Amino acid sequence: MRGILAIARKELNVYFTTPIAYVAFMVMALFAALFFTGSVDVYRNFVARMSAYEGQEILEHLNLTDVVVSRLFDSVGIFIVILSPFLSMRLVAEEKRGRTFELIMTSPVRPFEIVAGKYLAALGVLSVAIAIVAAFPVLLTLYARGMHGGSPVEWQTVGTGLLGLFLLGAMCMAVGLFVSSLTDSVIVAALISLIVLLGLWLVTIFTIGNQGPARDLAQGLSASEHLGAFLQGRIELKDIVYYLSFVALGLWLSDRAIEGQRWV
Amino acid sequence: MIEVSHLTKRYRDRVAVDDLSFSVQKGEVIGLLGPNGAGKSTTMRILTGFLPATSGTAKVAGFDVFEQPLEVKRRIGYLPETPPVYADMTPRAYLTFCAGLKHCPRRAVRGEIDRVAHLSRIEDVLDRISGNLSKGYLQRVGLAQALLGDPEVLVLDEPTVGLDPLQIREVRELVKGLASKHTIILSSHILPEVAMTCQKVLVLNGGKLVDFDTLDGLIAKHLPGRSVTLDDIAFLEEIYSKLVSPVAAGLAPSQPSAAVGGGR
Repeated sequence: MRGILAIARKELNVYFTTPIAYVAFMVMALFAALFFTGSVDVYRNFVARMSAYEGQEILEHLNLTDVVVSRLFDSVGIFIVILSPFLSMRLVAEEKRGRTFELIMTSPVRPFEIVAGKYLAALGVLSVAIAIVAAFPVLLTLYARGMHGGSPVEWQTVGTGLLGLFLLGAMCMAVGLFVSSLTDSVIVAALISLIVLLGLWLVTIFTIGNQGPARDLAQGLSASEHLGAFLQGRIELKDIVYYLSFVALGLWLSDRAIEGQRWV
Repeated sequence: MIEVSHLTKRYRDRVAVDDLSFSVQKGEVIGLLGPNGAGKSTTMRILTGFLPATSGTAKVAGFDVFEQPLEVKRRIGYLPETPPVYADMTPRAYLTFCAGLKHCPRRAVRGEIDRVAHLSRIEDVLDRISGNLSKGYLQRVGLAQALLGDPEVLVLDEPTVGLDPLQIREVRELVKGLASKHTIILSSHILPEVAMTCQKVLVLNGGKLVDFDTLDGLIAKHLPGRSVTLDDIAFLEEIYSKLVSPVAAGLAPSQPSAAVGGGR
């Protein structure tokens, strides 16, 4: 336990003394802001057009959560996929390159403690990046009002959306950590985890125009398909199982990869 | 304290360590001596549990390094060939991290860091970024790391590389001071170095044990009839240290060329 804490603290120390974490936050804030203003514009145009045609009934069913927040979260998903390889790339690869791996491996810590410490620190940084996105629904409550004077956004849906993004981030970090533990090149680690994660995100395109098992397979494998229910305010067991099994598999394989160093 | 029997390490078709057997008693200081590529570092890496042996066993304090690695790692302070220091951290943050890895009691960490910093003379650089330190300081930060937690066994891989002659002498004094309570294995490819610190010399060549004896024993065996004393080796250093000592520099600031010329 002490080993996990020591390693997590050291990783956080490195994230915040080098620009990595700040750049990640900045990228996330910038793109989230772009997508947020875009979504708000779409909403405004739609409302303006509907009012002209007296589409009151449609407007009554329209809400900021579905049109603005969910759309924003959906776009943020792809940025988590792109960003996390850059947060995870150096976790183990840099230790091997810098010969500090020898220090960790000859310290009285188990491989699992190394994996857990590094994973928790990296996930912590990514969680802060995701938390930045949560600021945008809060902005909406400052400048908008609900139909009957209540909150303009449904916080339950925002909550499940953030949970979905967090699970997606947890999966990306676990995959990235495993890839990082296989190589001693930071660049190779980043590129390979980016390819794997983008592949899992984009496999959903095979659902278009396909029927039967191929479609089911693509849907089952896709990281973006599994995010859908969370963005609509539903927590489904199959989605949670999907993300958590990637986390478990990634962490277990990382543990094996690090333990395997003792057998070379 | 250390028991090595029939240790062999093969990297694919190259044999790094070949059927090595020796034992070290508690409190002894052993020097591993041999040319580059003789298997010194490999032996040390096996002893510290970083590498597995191809065959044979190694025991430290009664624990097999492969079967019970954690028990062994808890008892060993290890300075690898390349000091395992993170360029982005200060020595203080680095030593705090190492203390956590070695499960030092939380309250004792600060005092422990002061102690090892004093022993390895890095007090002045504790709060500088390691990436900006010179090779000699990095080496001593690595040494401080090995001393953390006062382990029973110290494994030092070329501890004096990159140090100037005065610092080499300090490290030698340090090792001698630790000798009574600790079991120390250090490696070097410089015979006088080993001769002056170690009670016994273990000579390796091509992965094979060539000789394992006390210095007097080696002299008697290989130079029969010749009387050699340590003073024969030490006098050059004596002269050099007199010339470059701070006192000498303070007394004769206007004649630095004389000191340099005399040093040669």
